[in-house]
Amino acid sequence: MITAEPVRVCLVLPRVPRAELLASRAVEEAGHRIAFPRDTLAEVKLAVVEACLNAMEYGTGEVEVEVVAHPDDAHPWIEVAVVDHGPGFDASAVPKPVLEDTIRSARKRGWGLELIRRLMDEVEITSQPGLTRIRMIRRRGGQ
Amino acid sequence: METFEFKVADQLGTLVVLEVAGYINNEGGEVIAREARKLIDAGHRTLLLDLRATRIINSIGISLLLEVLERTLEVKGTLAFCCLTPSIAKTFQIMGLAQYTRIFPDRAVALAELSPRQ
Repeated sequence: MITAEPVRVCLVLPRVPRAELLASRAVEEAGHRIAFPRDTLAEVKLAVVEACLNAMEYGTGEVEVEVVAHPDDAHPWIEVAVVDHGPGFDASAVPKPVLEDTIRSARKRGWGLELIRRLMDEVEITSQPGLTRIRMIRRRGGQ
Repeated sequence: METFEFKVADQLGTLVVLEVAGYINNEGGEVIAREARKLIDAGHRTLLLDLRATRIINSIGISLLLEVLERTLEVKGTLAFCCLTPSIAKTFQIMGLAQYTRIFPDRAVALAELSPRQ
């Protein structure tokens, strides 16, 4: 069913394995309702999975996810916010990963934030102790 | 499509084809890394991962694939992928993985390129 009104889904993720997929399914459902292109939607889903994994790994307490799909005829767009209540972090201090270094490093992680930034059109991170919010936007035809 | 499955689908000399289905997260990635390590230790040098039934690889799963890549490079082998969804192909492109791995559109093309010559 294609809707003319924005579709809003709010979730509180349980701290259980694969909980990030609940957020991914919410994105998929909302995206389908505004006829968002499937391949673009898959990229949004991955970005949201990454944001939720970060929130669950570094945050404490509840992880809240809000998905809003905007059915603009010419330029539909999806907006997602992921909120956690952990200690916070300085996003500007997170180094950009370099594959050549990562392969030879004992620590091979650190790609989540880079993927979020590259898969979405807009990413805004606000963080302070007790409240971190990643707000992401992807438009049809973006990136 | 989210339940993880893994199997060794084919072996052609030192080339082995691995079929992976479902969500590659920490658990799935660990299975792939463990089995890949065993195959490399057994003498296989080219690992082809067929990802036609995989829709999402998260960054933890990716980090475990990088372990496989590191091990493959150590033995001067080749890590290859085929049948990537557009979003996984884009993820690999963002990371620059094509520089260190071989990426093919389908398995037939991959096997034609990677199979040991007679």
